[in-house]
Amino acid sequence: MRFKSTTGLAAIVTAAALALTGCGSGSGNGGGSTSSDGKVDGTGKTLNVLVGVLSQYPEQQKQWQSDIAAKFKAETGADVKFETFASANDELTRIQTSVVSGQGPDVYGLGTTFTPTAYATKAFVTLSDDDWKKVGGKDRFNPAALGISGPDKDHQAGIPFVSRPFVMAYNKDLLAAAGIDKPATSWDELAAQAKKMTNGDTYGIATGYKDNFDPWKFIWAMSVQAGNPLVDGNKLKMDDPTVKKAYQTYFGWLTNDKVVDPAAVGWSNSNAVAAFASGKAGYLMMTTSSSIPTLDKSAIAGKYEYTLMPTIAPGETKSKSDGDAASILSGDNLVVADYSKQKDLAFAYIKLITSKEEQLNYQKTFGDLPANGDALKELAGNAKLKPITDAAAKSKATPFTGAWGDIQLGLLNVTVQSVPDLAAGKVDEAALDSRIKDAQNKGQASLDRASKG
Amino acid sequence: MSTDAPHEVRPAADTAAGRAPRKADDAGQPAHKGGLRRKGLSERNRPLWMLIPGGALMIIIIVVPLLLGIYMSVLNLDQYTLRKWISAPLIGAENFVEAVTDSPLLHAVWLSVSYSLLAMVVTLPLGIAAAVATQNAFKGRAVIRSVFLIPYVLPSFVVATVWRTMLQPGGIVDEALATVGIHVGLWLNGPQTFWTLVLVQIWASWPFIYLLALSGLQSVDHEVHEASALDGALWWNKLRYVIFPYLKGPLSLAFLIGMLHHINNFTLPFVLFGVPAPADVEVLPILTYVTSFQSFRFGLSAAMAFISLVLIAIPLFVYLRAVKLDDAETPGAKK
Repeated sequence: MRFKSTTGLAAIVTAAALALTGCGSGSGNGGGSTSSDGKVDGTGKTLNVLVGVLSQYPEQQKQWQSDIAAKFKAETGADVKFETFASANDELTRIQTSVVSGQGPDVYGLGTTFTPTAYATKAFVTLSDDDWKKVGGKDRFNPAALGISGPDKDHQAGIPFVSRPFVMAYNKDLLAAAGIDKPATSWDELAAQAKKMTNGDTYGIATGYKDNFDPWKFIWAMSVQAGNPLVDGNKLKMDDPTVKKAYQTYFGWLTNDKVVDPAAVGWSNSNAVAAFASGKAGYLMMTTSSSIPTLDKSAIAGKYEYTLMPTIAPGETKSKSDGDAASILSGDNLVVADYSKQKDLAFAYIKLITSKEEQLNYQKTFGDLPANGDALKELAGNAKLKPITDAAAKSKATPFTGAWGDIQLGLLNVTVQSVPDLAAGKVDEAALDSRIKDAQNKGQASLDRASKG
Repeated sequence: MSTDAPHEVRPAADTAAGRAPRKADDAGQPAHKGGLRRKGLSERNRPLWMLIPGGALMIIIIVVPLLLGIYMSVLNLDQYTLRKWISAPLIGAENFVEAVTDSPLLHAVWLSVSYSLLAMVVTLPLGIAAAVATQNAFKGRAVIRSVFLIPYVLPSFVVATVWRTMLQPGGIVDEALATVGIHVGLWLNGPQTFWTLVLVQIWASWPFIYLLALSGLQSVDHEVHEASALDGALWWNKLRYVIFPYLKGPLSLAFLIGMLHHINNFTLPFVLFGVPAPADVEVLPILTYVTSFQSFRFGLSAAMAFISLVLIAIPLFVYLRAVKLDDAETPGAKK
């Protein structure tokens, strides 16, 4: 089988799906009888939940899961069976198989940027007002977190679970030594400050150009802050000058400003975290609260702080976006499968884990911010978390279209193909133009399909 | 299969080593001459029904997915139509047209074939040399032979991960080369990636050639060595005219399997370079993968896979006919 045709690749998913289709058709509603007081009785039933594995906290995650399962059992009488996926690819495969076969987990945890693609498959429940009531009411959630739950207010499938906004970390000692009294709020200022801190093997900025996600987030942020939301109706605006400017700024840190370690052309985000943790970088870009455990065990424990990333686009003096776009709207959403035969039970589970209490509990263990509004308010008082809760409130959703996966890939691909130029110290403008044009064409084609779809 | 066409092309060595094939002939002949009565068990009443379980599995595992793949390739199947994929709009040859005219497919085919061929051309002499070097007994031969197999037994994923780590900018390979004053530049991005892929593929796959060459060498009868020694053949002549003809069968097989394996190798480029891959290593499996699982164009990607299947099948078919691998009588493959 190892030497079989490449067709196998495309066909295996389908084959697996076909095998399952037979028994998976037909859909039902309900699941557990709902008594007059709104309690769902799920005695004897099992709810299947698929979530991402938290590789940093394997023990804690197991513990959390068994605690929640016990609480859910006490409340509804039903069991919860957790399954985990290790990577985004893993998750995709699971979702595709389930979507085609019409069976699989009842509840999925999805990354926010994947939600539009999942929504496009129409395989997940778009919540009615009634459904929202079953998960505890729409108003229990941080309004910003609902930004990427659906294409508009009336069609939302994603129920926010946690927020993981992006911020930057800075080394207090290095900033002070360079005579900088407060971290930059514009990208221009950031480059200027970084220059002051760059000296010998110490660099102003730590970031990874070979990361699989970071590059497009920078380009998205700088473009949005310059007033270009990238997707405008059915038009992709990657050929806009703001996008080119964003790439030039992002690449320029390495080629012109020389404030990034040249080795960063081969770095992923974790290499950048390591460089920052060794005290050799002033700023660590595009990080989340999940870097806390690493940094607190490092040489710079106690010497770093988080703050919002710059919100003023390169060459500008104020943000041109509505809202500051300090970060992409990042975190996890929960969706309920359309084929699930126990939707009420699924909603009851979501209601439980998005309650204020459970959300605070989750934050304490894993660091992710609550999507529950009250829980978030309670944390705002915590000075250490303040910049991160700020970022959560100032996060902006990436465009809600099924084509986003392609657009994101195109944005990233421009960086991937530019890395050799970066390493050589100069990104040729004509080459950059043609790469952007290529991404624009592919992305636009994808958007065209989305509008038909 | 048939037993009557073994004699057309016989390498010189065969006359010396002709005994074994003869035996096969003897066993086969009665079937032809003996008529119905003696054909009996061997052909007339062959219990073909015993193939049913295997045949059924083959149909489920190979034929059905293949047909489904072909069916998918004429559907406009993407994330919007996936859920009810049976009723996805039928668009005929559109996917094929797009794959050929408006996608990097042909470039990917070119990359795949050229990289596979390059890797093959280098691994063949390497593998043969290693097999010949470990043919005669010497102290520690068993250890050397085991060491040679290490790249082959390591999972592709591990090989790729280790190489990726070593080839990182400022990694161990760069440092080692820098001490002798060589600065190569980026291994994992840019035009050089193609050569990186070839290099790692060579490292990972030469033991396969070595294994098959070794098996070929071991099938050389002892008398052949004696005979050529008596005729006064020196080592090169002996190797060239006596031993190599024996290797033709196993090495043709190795070439074929190796090429197919390289062309279909997904793990190595995926782990080494990630997706989106640098344009110089966007080989067929990577392109198919990205189209399917990043862009969600399942129909288009099925069309791509089908085109590449055909592209591979044509030379494969010609080649199989030419070398007659299905012929049990070719030297080297005889036992």
